Amino acid sequence: MKITFPHMGNIYFAAKTLFGDLGIDYVIPPISSKASLELGSLHSAEEMCLPFKIMIGNYIHAIEKGADTVIITGSCGPCRLGEYCELQMNLMKRLGYNLDFIVIDSPNDIGAKELLSRFGKISSKSTLSKTNKIAALLRAIKVINLVDEIEAMARNKAGYEVNKGESKKILNECKKEAMNCSDGKSMIALLNSYKTRLENIEADKNKNPIKIAIIGEIYTVIEPFSNLYIEDKLMDYGVSTHRTLSPSWWLKNLVLSPINLNQLDIKRKAKEYLPLMIGGHARECIGEAVLAHDEGFDGAIQIFPMGCMPEIVSKAILPQISKDKDFPILTLVVDEMTGEAGYITRIEAFIDLLERRKDNVLSRC
Amino acid sequence: MKVGIPKGLLYNNYKPFFHTFFEELGAELIVSSDTNRDTLNNGVKYCVDEACLPVKIFHGHVAEIKDHCDLILIPRIMQLREREFICPKFCGLPEMVVNSIPDMPRVTMEPIYAMSKDRLFKWAEVVGHEIHNNKGRVKKAFEEAVQCQLNYKTGLNDETSPMKVALAGHPYNIYDNYINMNILKKLRKLGVGVVTEEIIDEDAKAKEIKKLYKRPFWSFARDNYSFTSIAAEKKLVNGIIYISSFACGIDSVVIELIKQNIEDFPFLVLKVDEHTGEAGLDTRIEAFVDMLERRSS
Repeated sequence: MKITFPHMGNIYFAAKTLFGDLGIDYVIPPISSKASLELGSLHSAEEMCLPFKIMIGNYIHAIEKGADTVIITGSCGPCRLGEYCELQMNLMKRLGYNLDFIVIDSPNDIGAKELLSRFGKISSKSTLSKTNKIAALLRAIKVINLVDEIEAMARNKAGYEVNKGESKKILNECKKEAMNCSDGKSMIALLNSYKTRLENIEADKNKNPIKIAIIGEIYTVIEPFSNLYIEDKLMDYGVSTHRTLSPSWWLKNLVLSPINLNQLDIKRKAKEYLPLMIGGHARECIGEAVLAHDEGFDGAIQIFPMGCMPEIVSKAILPQISKDKDFPILTLVVDEMTGEAGYITRIEAFIDLLERRKDNVLSRC
Repeated sequence: MKVGIPKGLLYNNYKPFFHTFFEELGAELIVSSDTNRDTLNNGVKYCVDEACLPVKIFHGHVAEIKDHCDLILIPRIMQLREREFICPKFCGLPEMVVNSIPDMPRVTMEPIYAMSKDRLFKWAEVVGHEIHNNKGRVKKAFEEAVQCQLNYKTGLNDETSPMKVALAGHPYNIYDNYINMNILKKLRKLGVGVVTEEIIDEDAKAKEIKKLYKRPFWSFARDNYSFTSIAAEKKLVNGIIYISSFACGIDSVVIELIKQNIEDFPFLVLKVDEHTGEAGLDTRIEAFVDMLERRSS
């Protein structure tokens, strides 16, 4: 059994630590690229959403490297993600690949026993003792938290750094070196050292950079390829960005949601505009937009894949927030046809707008 | 009190319930007209661009009646059955409407959970309170409305027709003759009878759905998948026509599931959106019917 998984932001660092430490054979698919998207679009139904297509590309690339088992998460909310597994299984079978799927689904739907047996399928391949397995899992969680923290810090510092491009350089270097680590312990040590390096980069506290919150659909926000590396682009412009959604946020949310203690502030902020959970992360998107305004951000950018049902609802609500709070929000819809030039023009125009608003005292009255 | 009822989305399915409920409470009903060109134009004008055609048309219906009533019914249907959903856009429908259309009167924000009478009554209690203070009267109106709804059956079944097609898709695409450009009339004129999913009983549907690896969590997915699957397998019909609105997330999944399941059984997908031309639709239907005739002769 050789395990693989679809890419989603920094998850591959955690997966590397987990499977590496457990001693399970695994393949990390090549980072999502045009090639994976083209492969995916070729084989998927036309109207499926972008994440589905990129994931199919990831699978096929991983199979070429010897993978035979895929781990994906499911959901039973009203969003399409929950139906991915069934369609992807059928699709891969039709393409002639013999691929095993392990679907990590909500225990409410498939039963706790079934879920445990699916986990068992993975962990039985490891020869470690139970305590060592748990230790490996904890290390993986630590890694994902650290990577997300480092990334968030770098994105934020990009607006304040004295030597332009330094935080981006450190971030990229960190990611590259982390993949060369042999086990979880050394990766944690490396990440910690990079964290201190980032903390200590020369920053100009008096600078007042443009601050933008990135909100929207979780996959397109987290997976940099799907949003055409928007955060890297904003770093180059010297913009400080913040995004709440990340793999570590998702994990925390998942653990806290049964006792209803998850993301209390977001829920509270969203209440005025969208009081109910409608699937996907629409309520989070609304809450984050309001929160970003309250925390003094200059604007927000919403990103979602074409046809995403929950985000269409939030897109209908965002103009009202924008109007009520005098808070600029740009919506970017991405799919396999998105052209980079038009995309960049829109982002640049948005930044120009924010800059002008900042300079002009009257606009704040 | 004037209560506005937009004739969009699932109006056709739950018409008796809403009509009886508000009438029993003594409200005056303002019902929008059947979908027409103005409805669509208004809908396109107000609604967010990315939404699907039926949601845009719903906006159009609301825009038509919003100045003539005190309260507008916007059914936020969350769930019809246990562990099943409709579509995220239904769950956020009131928010979409009030944030898109200016100068709205009061609207019903309360979610509808219709899996049991008790849960449904929660909706009736809140909405009924807006119209009438008397709890007993609300309860009575609710009971009456539920009774009316239970006696109401939708569904088409042209049993006697020698050539039949299964008409699948969301109810609002099947029953709104403006959206589907009178497809029923067109098919019948060509001598083709129409059958809809209501002919399959619940048990058979539940059995059919078990064959899938994962239980579909959308009510529409469950109905359409099991209906087409049984219709194709038992040869209840000569072919299947699926009316789907452009960019519908649920259909993008369901149509794939159906295609993989029925293999080479005749299957036509008609995509509708605000730009659909009638001539093109006619040609596709005629070609499909020709093909069915040639197969059966």
